[in-house]
Amino acid sequence: MKNKLQMILAALIVAVMVLTACQPKPAEKVTITIGVTDQIASLDSADAYATHDWELLKNIGEGLLVWKPGSASELIPGIAQDMPTVSEDGLTYTFKLKPGIKFADGLELTAPMYAQQLNRLLTIGPSCPNDVADALAIPYVESITAPDDSTLVFKLKVPIAYFPQILASAPYLPSHPDKFPVDQCVLFPEAPIYGVGPWYISQYTQNEQLVLEPNPYYQGIRKPQVDQIIIRYFSDPQTMALAVQNGEIDIAWRFLDPELIDQLRGVEGLTVGDIEGGFIRYLIINHTMPPMDDPNVVKAFASLIDRDAIVDTVYKGAATLLYSMNPPGFLGATDAFDTMYKAPDVAAANAYLAASGYDENNKCAIELWYPPDHYGAATAAWVELIKQQLEAANFKVELKAQEWSTYVTALTGGESYQVGVLGWFYDYPDPSNYLDPFVYNGGMGTNVTVPAEGSPYGQPINEKAQQLVDLLAQADVETDLDARTELYRQAQDVYADLVVTLPIIILSEHITYRSNIHGSPEYGSVETLNIATNLEFNYSMLTKTP
Amino acid sequence: MKPISFILLILGVPLALMLLYVFLKGSMGLRKYILTRIALTLPMVFILASLVFFIMRVLPGDPVRSALGPRGTAEQAEHMRQALGLDKPLLVQYGIFLKDMVTFNFGNSMVGGHRPIIDEMSERFPATLELIIPSSIVALVIGIWGGTWAAARRKTIVDYSLRLYSVIIYSLPIFWFGLMLQLLFGIRFKLLPVAGRIDPVIRTTLQPVTNLYMIDSILSGNWPALASALSHLVLPTITLGLVLSGVFVRITRINVIETLQADYIAAARARGIRERVVVYGHALKNAMIPVITLIGLQVAILLAGAVLTETIFNWPGMGGYLVQRISARDYTAVQSVIAMFALLVALISLLVDLIYSLLDPRVRY
Repeated sequence: MKNKLQMILAALIVAVMVLTACQPKPAEKVTITIGVTDQIASLDSADAYATHDWELLKNIGEGLLVWKPGSASELIPGIAQDMPTVSEDGLTYTFKLKPGIKFADGLELTAPMYAQQLNRLLTIGPSCPNDVADALAIPYVESITAPDDSTLVFKLKVPIAYFPQILASAPYLPSHPDKFPVDQCVLFPEAPIYGVGPWYISQYTQNEQLVLEPNPYYQGIRKPQVDQIIIRYFSDPQTMALAVQNGEIDIAWRFLDPELIDQLRGVEGLTVGDIEGGFIRYLIINHTMPPMDDPNVVKAFASLIDRDAIVDTVYKGAATLLYSMNPPGFLGATDAFDTMYKAPDVAAANAYLAASGYDENNKCAIELWYPPDHYGAATAAWVELIKQQLEAANFKVELKAQEWSTYVTALTGGESYQVGVLGWFYDYPDPSNYLDPFVYNGGMGTNVTVPAEGSPYGQPINEKAQQLVDLLAQADVETDLDARTELYRQAQDVYADLVVTLPIIILSEHITYRSNIHGSPEYGSVETLNIATNLEFNYSMLTKTP
Repeated sequence: MKPISFILLILGVPLALMLLYVFLKGSMGLRKYILTRIALTLPMVFILASLVFFIMRVLPGDPVRSALGPRGTAEQAEHMRQALGLDKPLLVQYGIFLKDMVTFNFGNSMVGGHRPIIDEMSERFPATLELIIPSSIVALVIGIWGGTWAAARRKTIVDYSLRLYSVIIYSLPIFWFGLMLQLLFGIRFKLLPVAGRIDPVIRTTLQPVTNLYMIDSILSGNWPALASALSHLVLPTITLGLVLSGVFVRITRINVIETLQADYIAAARARGIRERVVVYGHALKNAMIPVITLIGLQVAILLAGAVLTETIFNWPGMGGYLVQRISARDYTAVQSVIAMFALLVALISLLVDLIYSLLDPRVRY
C-alpha cells in the first residue's frame, strides 16, 4: 500500500515535470514591470483624483494639451491641432482636433463625442465618489460644446489664467463612450479599457497587477517602445525594494523610504534617479486656536525652523529646503520665509515670544500633531527635530501622533489641532494650486478665512488676510504674465508675514531601475527615465535591452 | 459565478456531506451536539459582527474624511456621507446592516473605489487560502513528525535539539524570519522569488476561475503558471509553516511520551512489534486528540500570522486587506471580513469536533 502511494506520487511529480518542459512558453514579449505601493482608486477620468490613477489615465489617454515628455513647463498640443484660440474676454477657448484620432479598438474620436464625454465631468462628476469635478471643472467651466466634428469650445465662468494647465489634467481626457456612459460613474470598468493615448489596459486585478499594451492607432509623439508594461502593486516598500534587487520587477517607482533608497544606491546593477518633485511637506497652523491665534507666537515659530538640519539629518540630502508654499521653479516663486525670518534665529523668536508675555519661566506650550502612518517613517524623525528646535527658545512642545483617519478628520472637521503636519502635491502646476487652497474658505484648517455663504473666498479674519485674499483673487484671473508674477511675489510676502502655513521641504522623488532599462535621450533626463518635476511618467519613453 | 462562491462550494459541499454522514451514522448524542453547535455558530457570528459594527463606529476617525483627505470640502464630505448611508441614525444603519447580513449582501467598500466587497473578497480570500493550507501542512508535518521523533528518542540529542527548535522557532518574529529567508534565498542565492503569488508575465497567460492560482493553472493545463505559483509559495509557506510548527512539536512530543508509557504500548513491545510501528502506528494515533484540538485553536493564530506573512511577501490576501481597511475605517469591509473569519473559525472548530468522534469511538457527546 505504502509502495503504491509512493509510486503514484513519483509518477505525478514526473508528469508535472514533463508537462512543464513540454509546455510552449508564452510568446516572448518585451515586458517592463513597474512596482508601486499605490493602489488604483478609480479609472474613470470624470472621477479619478489620485496621482497614480492620473498616471495610468494619462498613459492610456491623451488630452487636447499635454506636457512635453520630460518637461514640467512646456505645454504642447496633444490631440489638438494647435494651441487654443482664446477670446478677448478670456472666457472662450476653441480647439481644433487632429484628424484620425482613434481609441485602441479603432473607434474614431469626434468633437461631439469628446464634448459629450467631457460633459460627464460637469453633470455626473460631482456625484462620483472622488469628486474631481468640484475641484477642477465646476468652479471654472460653464459649458463644453462641439459646433462641428473637429471643433471643441470651452466657455468659462470667469477668465482663468491657468486654464491651459487645468486642461492638461486627467479629468479632461477623452474616455471611451462604451465603457463610460454619460449618466454613470464607472470607477472600475471591465478590461480592456481603451483610450486615445499610447497604451490601453488589457487586463487588471486590483492590488495585484495591471497590464498595458500599445494602442495600434496611436499617432502622437509618445509611441510605445516595448510590447507590454505591467504595473505590479506592493503593500510594503521593503518588499518592493527586495523585488527590484531580485529582478522580479524592472523599476521600483513610488514610494520607497529614504533609508531604502540609501540602501539601493549601493546595489550593483541598479540606478537610482532623483527627481526634484513637487511633493511638499508643511505645518498647518490653526489661526483661531490659542496660542497660534497670536501673530507673535506664529512668527516666533517660523523663526526657529532649521530646514537644513531636517534635510541633512533625516533625508540625508535627498530633499530640498522650502521657503514658500509656491515651490522653486513655479511662477513668481520667492524665498519669502527665509528673507523674512532668517531661521533659525533663537533671539528673534524669544523677542517675539516676550512681546506676548512668554519667557523662560512661562514657556509657550503647544501641541504638534502628526500622522505616523501616512507620510512615511521619516515624519516622526523630523517632527522630533522641530520639537528640539522650538525648545531651543521659550517653547514647550508636546508631540502627539494619531493615525491618519482620525487625524485628518479632526484637522479638516473644524476641531483642528494647533499645529499639524500635512503634505501637498499639485493638481495642476500653477502657484494658485499651492497658495489658494490654504487661504480660501477656511484654508483647509488654517482658518485665516471663515467659509461664507455666496463667497468663493470666505471671510478673512483680519486685514492682512483680506490683503492676501485680494492678491490671490487678482492673480487667479490676471492673464498678463509679468503682472501675475508680481501679484504672486506680493502674496507670498503677506503669506509669510501671516505664517498661514509653514513650508518645510520639497521631497525628491526617486525611481530605481535595473541596468537594462533606459529612458529616451530625446526628452529631458535619461537618468530619471524622462520624469520631470511634475512627476509625469510616460511609459512610452522606456526601452529594455536584453 | 464569483470565485469566492466557487471556493465556498468546493469547501462547503464536502463539509456538508461529511456533516450529513456523521449526522446520519452518529449517535443521538452526536446529532444533538451537531445541531447545538450549528445553532450556536449563527448567533456567535451575529454577536461578533454586531460588536464590530458598534466598535468601528465608536472609534475615532471617519471613513469619509479618511477617503477625501485634507482637500475634501464640507459639501463633498456631506455628499459622500449621504451616498454611503452614514447620515442615517445609528440604529437605522444597524437595521440595514442586519438585513444585509441575513441576505448575504456584503455591500460596497466605503473607501478607495467603493467596489462590491464580494468582488474584493473574491480576489483576496483565495490568496489567503492558498497560503494557509500549505502552511498548515508544513506546520503539521514538521510538528507531528518532529514531536513524535523527539518522544521516541527522549532525553537524547535529537530530543533536546527538537525541543530547542520548537522554542526558538515559536519565538521568532514572523516579519524578521520572513525577511531573512527573502535575503538568503532570494537576494543572496537567487533561488526563489521574494514577492507576489506568481510571475507577472506568466500571470497574463492565466485565466482565473477560482483565483487559487495552483488550481487554475492545473485546470487550464498551464504548467509554467503552476511552476511559478509553486515557486512563489515556497518562502511564505515555509515562513508561516515553520513558525507555527514549534507549538505542534511540543504538544505532540508530550502526548506521545505519555502514550508510550501506557500498558498497551508495553504489551505491544512485549509481543515483539517493531519500535517504529509501536511509535507511529500505535502511540501517535492515540496521542492525536490534543493535537487536533490545537489545530482548531491554531486557525485564528494562523489567520493572524497570515496578516504579517502576506505583508512581507506582498501576498494580496485577506490579512493585508483587513489591516488596510481598519486604518481607513472602512466599516463595511471590516464587518464583512470579521464575519467571514468568524464563520471560518467556527466551521473548522465544528469540523475538529467531528473528527474527534471519527478518530476515537470513546468520545461521547
